[in-house]
Amino acid sequence: MAGLELLSDQGFRIDGRRPHELRKIQCRLGVFNQADGSAYIEQGNTKVLAAVYGPHEIRGSRSKVLHDKVLVNCQYSMATFSTGERKRRPRGDRKSQEMTMHLQQTFDAAIQTSLYPRSQIDIFVEVLQSDGGNYCASVNASTLALIDAGIALRDYVCACSSSFVNDTPLTDINYLEESSGSPEIIAATLPKSEQIVFLEMNGRLHEDNLSRVTDMAVKGCKDIHDILDQVVRDHVSEVSTVHGWEN
Amino acid sequence: MVDVQLSDAEKVFILHGVQDNCREDGRGCEDYRHLEIETSVMSNTNGSARVRLANTDILVGVKAELGTPSPEKLNKGRIEFFVDCSANATPEFEGRGGEDLATDISNMLYRAYDCPNCFDLQQLCVIPDQQCWILYVDILLLECGGNLFDATSLAVKAALFNTSIPTVTVTKDEGVVDLEISDDPYDVQRLDMKSSPCIVTLSKVGHSHVVDASQKEECCTLARLIMGVTEKGTITALKKEGSGSLDPTSIEDMMETGRRVGESLNKCLMDALAEEERQGTKKKSLGFLR
Amino acid sequence: MLTSKTFVKKTKRGRIIKIVREHYLRDDITCGSESCQICDPFDFGQPLVAEPENKSRLCLTPHYIIPDTNVVLHQMDVMEDSSVQNVVILQTVLDEVRHRSSPGYKRLKSMLANPSKHFFTFCNEFNKNTYVERQKGESSNDRNDRAIREATSWYQDHLRSEGQSDLIIDVVLLTNDADNRRKAIQQGLKAFTVHEYVKSLENCGHLVDLLSQSQMSVHSQDRLMFPEHLPLSEIQRGIKAGRYFQGSFMASRENYLEANVSVHNKDEMVFIQGHMNQNRAVHSDVVAIEMLPEEEWSCPSSMVLEESSEKIVEDSMETEDEAIKRKKIPKELRQPTGRIVGIIKRNWRQYCGILRPSAVKEGTRHIVVPAEKKIPKIRIETRQAADLITQRIVVAIDNWPRNSRYPQGHFVRKLGNIGDKDTENEVLLLEHDVPHSNFSEAVLACLPKLPWIITDEDYKRRRDLRHIDICSVDPPGCTDIDDALHCRELENGNLEIGVHIADVSHFIRPGTAIDKEAAERGTTVYLTDRRIDMVPELLSSNLCSLRSNVERFAFSILWEMTHDADVVGTSFTKSVIKSKAAFTYAEAQMKIDDTAQNDSLTRSLRHLNRLAKILKQRRVDAGALTLASPEIRFHIDSETHEPIDVQAKQIMETNSMVEEFMLLANVASAKKTLEEFPDCACLRRHPAPPPSNFEPVIKAALSKGFNIDVSKGKALADSLQSAVVPSDPYFNTMLRIMTTRCMMQAVYFCSGMIPETEYFHYGLAAGIYTHFTSPIRRFSDIIVHRLLAVCIGADASYPSLTEKHKTQVVCNNLNYRHKMAQYAGRASVNLHTHIFFKNRTTNEEGYVLFVRQNALQVLIPKYGLEGTLYLSDGKTKSKPRFTYNEEANTQTCGSVTFHVFDQVIIELSIDQSNVQHLKLCLKLVKPEIPGFSVPAHSSEDSEPPKKKQKKGQTKK
Repeated sequence: MAGLELLSDQGFRIDGRRPHELRKIQCRLGVFNQADGSAYIEQGNTKVLAAVYGPHEIRGSRSKVLHDKVLVNCQYSMATFSTGERKRRPRGDRKSQEMTMHLQQTFDAAIQTSLYPRSQIDIFVEVLQSDGGNYCASVNASTLALIDAGIALRDYVCACSSSFVNDTPLTDINYLEESSGSPEIIAATLPKSEQIVFLEMNGRLHEDNLSRVTDMAVKGCKDIHDILDQVVRDHVSEVSTVHGWEN
Repeated sequence: MVDVQLSDAEKVFILHGVQDNCREDGRGCEDYRHLEIETSVMSNTNGSARVRLANTDILVGVKAELGTPSPEKLNKGRIEFFVDCSANATPEFEGRGGEDLATDISNMLYRAYDCPNCFDLQQLCVIPDQQCWILYVDILLLECGGNLFDATSLAVKAALFNTSIPTVTVTKDEGVVDLEISDDPYDVQRLDMKSSPCIVTLSKVGHSHVVDASQKEECCTLARLIMGVTEKGTITALKKEGSGSLDPTSIEDMMETGRRVGESLNKCLMDALAEEERQGTKKKSLGFLR
Repeated sequence: MLTSKTFVKKTKRGRIIKIVREHYLRDDITCGSESCQICDPFDFGQPLVAEPENKSRLCLTPHYIIPDTNVVLHQMDVMEDSSVQNVVILQTVLDEVRHRSSPGYKRLKSMLANPSKHFFTFCNEFNKNTYVERQKGESSNDRNDRAIREATSWYQDHLRSEGQSDLIIDVVLLTNDADNRRKAIQQGLKAFTVHEYVKSLENCGHLVDLLSQSQMSVHSQDRLMFPEHLPLSEIQRGIKAGRYFQGSFMASRENYLEANVSVHNKDEMVFIQGHMNQNRAVHSDVVAIEMLPEEEWSCPSSMVLEESSEKIVEDSMETEDEAIKRKKIPKELRQPTGRIVGIIKRNWRQYCGILRPSAVKEGTRHIVVPAEKKIPKIRIETRQAADLITQRIVVAIDNWPRNSRYPQGHFVRKLGNIGDKDTENEVLLLEHDVPHSNFSEAVLACLPKLPWIITDEDYKRRRDLRHIDICSVDPPGCTDIDDALHCRELENGNLEIGVHIADVSHFIRPGTAIDKEAAERGTTVYLTDRRIDMVPELLSSNLCSLRSNVERFAFSILWEMTHDADVVGTSFTKSVIKSKAAFTYAEAQMKIDDTAQNDSLTRSLRHLNRLAKILKQRRVDAGALTLASPEIRFHIDSETHEPIDVQAKQIMETNSMVEEFMLLANVASAKKTLEEFPDCACLRRHPAPPPSNFEPVIKAALSKGFNIDVSKGKALADSLQSAVVPSDPYFNTMLRIMTTRCMMQAVYFCSGMIPETEYFHYGLAAGIYTHFTSPIRRFSDIIVHRLLAVCIGADASYPSLTEKHKTQVVCNNLNYRHKMAQYAGRASVNLHTHIFFKNRTTNEEGYVLFVRQNALQVLIPKYGLEGTLYLSDGKTKSKPRFTYNEEANTQTCGSVTFHVFDQVIIELSIDQSNVQHLKLCLKLVKPEIPGFSVPAHSSEDSEPPKKKQKKGQTKK
């Protein structure tokens, strides 16, 4: 009868969050042994694995070699069981190819590419479960994997989405909010310098509200940065304890 | 799959070890490496399992969909296996790089499960001739540390064991059939996995054979025998692989070992799954956060 | 702060998919009590007061009330009573109400927003202490009940826990579910039924009447009369299988035994006849029907049948149904007929009505006769019958059990004495859902402060048109003047035409309280003696009204036109104008006709008049329809406010002149806004009616030998034009009146929501159309003004202006309000007609509009009035007998035969036999039929009839 009420009068979203609250983020570095760097992130029910290989020699055709910087090669892939309705193919469809390109652009901007000329860095992203904010989780996971691989970055890259419902910006929207037809802004930032490296908007949003919604996404990125940074610090201290480096 | 390159001396070392039933990592010829299984790892699937066998990491999700039965099996449901080799495992799998391996594995699974006694497809029938459940078993290969077939089959069996399908009530009146899905999350149907097979791979190393070959051992292997074995020791599928040749007597030997190992492997798996189930919801799901 | 829990839901969307949603449980949710020392301060809603004064004998300590879902849904009237305060609405309850009844949800939300009610929403589903997970084998209803108990129990503990103030506050759970109550009491909670609780309250006797009577024992013998309704699941299955159909039930106003169901995706209505087949459906319910076998199909009896309100002993329903069945219906007349098998959704609202005098004065059970004839009588229980009998009251239906002839309901409130004009006005406003309360403080605060002055800034921003001779032309007594015109000669020989519309959007800014109120009201409602303004009077009659000789803001459209009315250029601008004169239609007409006058205003009017004629001819050539509907004006006595004379509205050339330019302005604005906002322009369309609608007109015209071609608008206009009987000038008008009734409703819509091919306006033969010219009284025009202002860069856009879904929602409301305003206007005319004829009996000329089985529908042009002339009531064997010829559509008695369009002389009076329910009574004067017709009346205004007229009695 009545449609979904994305934001109740009491100020709660369908899943019980307030408009400015992120979903629960849990993550881990170094999930795999064989990859040079790997990370796993859960943002609510969106779960993403990322693996980084490189920098290494250019694979395949030599013509791809860039003489002044590293070649950032990405692949975005979704497990066939990751979505509500089963996907037929894990990658190769238009949406995944677009995602791949977006990731490539994002990390081209974040990796200190000139440090690794004539080589290649692979970033492979696998979405295990999708509940909105796939791109954001992919970026966040990749950042962690790059850090795990020890690749020089300008800064963390953190991504967060936001929407606009009942004159209120919502941050880190889940699938339900994403598919409700309300506008969506996706931003990836370098949180320390507050530079935006990626910005995308879907749906209709009035110009007057644009800055409020974008600010919400940027604020979300900052919050995510704090969480990721803590995880990285914990990880490093744990690893160093294991290796007996702290002395 | 990080490429493993071995010198002749290393190969000889492994060969001799196997001959003496003492492998490079200290195992006997019929021992598996450390194996971890966790089920219910992906909440949006009907059943899921993750298996980690040394470095081999496999995630399986099962999704049940309603569909029409295939014309030759009107009162049965279907199982579809789909293997995806993630580039996370190795850059070689990027794009379509992993497809050959994926097809190999899924074909083997089809063969192992294509046996009326090992998995009863009739339990997937909803309305004979019209509606049945199709189980999509999607296998995601996340890291390769050797012995993919065995690990995959274990993960598949665990995921199917974990699968619950919503109960469907069929109401018929005046020829119009209507399906009603129970809204009670506890009102579900489980699958009988008791006699389903596991795959056991035997690798011929020198004159002996080993189970669960590590990547290094796989390097020294010229021929492999891959077989599906049920808990009762029935062999549901058999396949020889590799460039080397095997003489019939050694095949018999290998089959004997495979059956023996398979029986206990199945038993161990079912025990472990039963134990996990007993812990129920109290158990904290860890997944990749461990 | 966040704890996370996932819960699993399976939905069916063609496929079965497992949906997982996160559900965060929080520890920062406040209990909402002002006395609470533990929770964070509340940040929304109305707090529960620290010392609640709910005085109940069942619970002597001060307490808060927690009702369950069914109590909220079914006892809405009790909940709304001002004495019920300090109620905790649980989120579980709110959600369930939302899913089960959207009007209920709306009412609940307004209670929650009311600061004097102290209703508080407690988000128990998000609170980690009160969230409950569904258990194995538990239905979702059981889970919700458990959640409600859990929350109640939490409140009980929370309000007594350490750190709280000394005053102990209790909570009381109200539930009529016996099982829930038992479990709650076991859990140590205070739980009562609403009935127990309300009866235990001190000084709340009036609340008892408000209780919904779900458990009222049935008046008559406990005999099941109606077939059982099918359960919803079975209905859905049946609909899927094509066995049943879903549709909305529309009761007939004229015959309580007949109704139609408009089935979704079906053109033709399905006819429903008889009590059993209607099976307790009430007007506007969404029902499931089953078609009857074709041999049982029936057709409307064309009998005008009112359930007599005097009769105490009613025929059993079976007898009435039997009577219908006995009639044989010829095959060719049969219509698809069905019966109701179940109710998908009740759309009950509150109904105005009067109490029927009961035989047992002291009894508490009474019958209420609703004002709306489509609604069945309602049985209520009240102790105030003696008091209510002279009153108009509001009642609500609670349920309709199988063993009761009438639905059961309860008393809600009284409106005032029957017959009081104010009371009657109130009734018709309520019945038509016209929001008519005074404007709230918040709305009035949005008005500009007086004295209102135009600043230099304003002059700079607007085009100064004060020097131009502008005038307005309106009906007499008009105070909300929203349009003015001018025409002047340009140096290049062309003419400049200006249409100046009150710039309401300057005063009503988007998002303000006044904007929301205006959007909600949608339109100004004109009753005969009262105007219910859409915007406060300061705007409607003063600051926005383009009165003469004052400077006013306007939104102007200026055209450059040749003398042949060809548009050379169009421009839109915001302006300041100073109207030189406010004419009535008649004054303007006189000016035009008076050759002696030759001032600039007169010249300008003549130009306009001439151009208007050209424009009109062009429209007619394009196929625009000239339709007619009888409109009348009352002359109201300035002291008694009673109507003293009635006359049909006069149409002059100047009416048409103003109309033409308004149309021109509307079309121009529609084009401009659509060009700029292809997706979110607010337009008005008029769909072409399905050909079947025209059948009565075609049939009627054919009886006079005219063919009406309805294939196209143009063809229809032409054939109407040519259907003229020289001897009977009123024939053509009648035909147009009948054609008007075949039309569809014109509706507002948002351009992005439907395909472009459907933008067409049939009646005006315009490709696209909108409303621009009356922003004082229509909200649609305000939207159009805002859009246009953005187009010309005169105003800023704002978010919801460009959201097509929001615009469509506004349009839907406007359509509804507009329709209701029309109905209310008509009802008001009716009311005044009754008052007017109360003391009069007159003879008037009338025309037969329809021939029915037992009556003639007669139109009296002088009063624009339509009435029913009963020929027989089908029961009493009164003489003389009329013979109804269904084929030819005639009634014959002896040598006299009545056809459609026949002229008759009618005696008009008011049947006062029932003081509560005045009826306009028509009696035949000419042609004379011995024993039936009455002698011609000599004087027009006679004394009120002293005794009941004879013919009045034959109706019983």
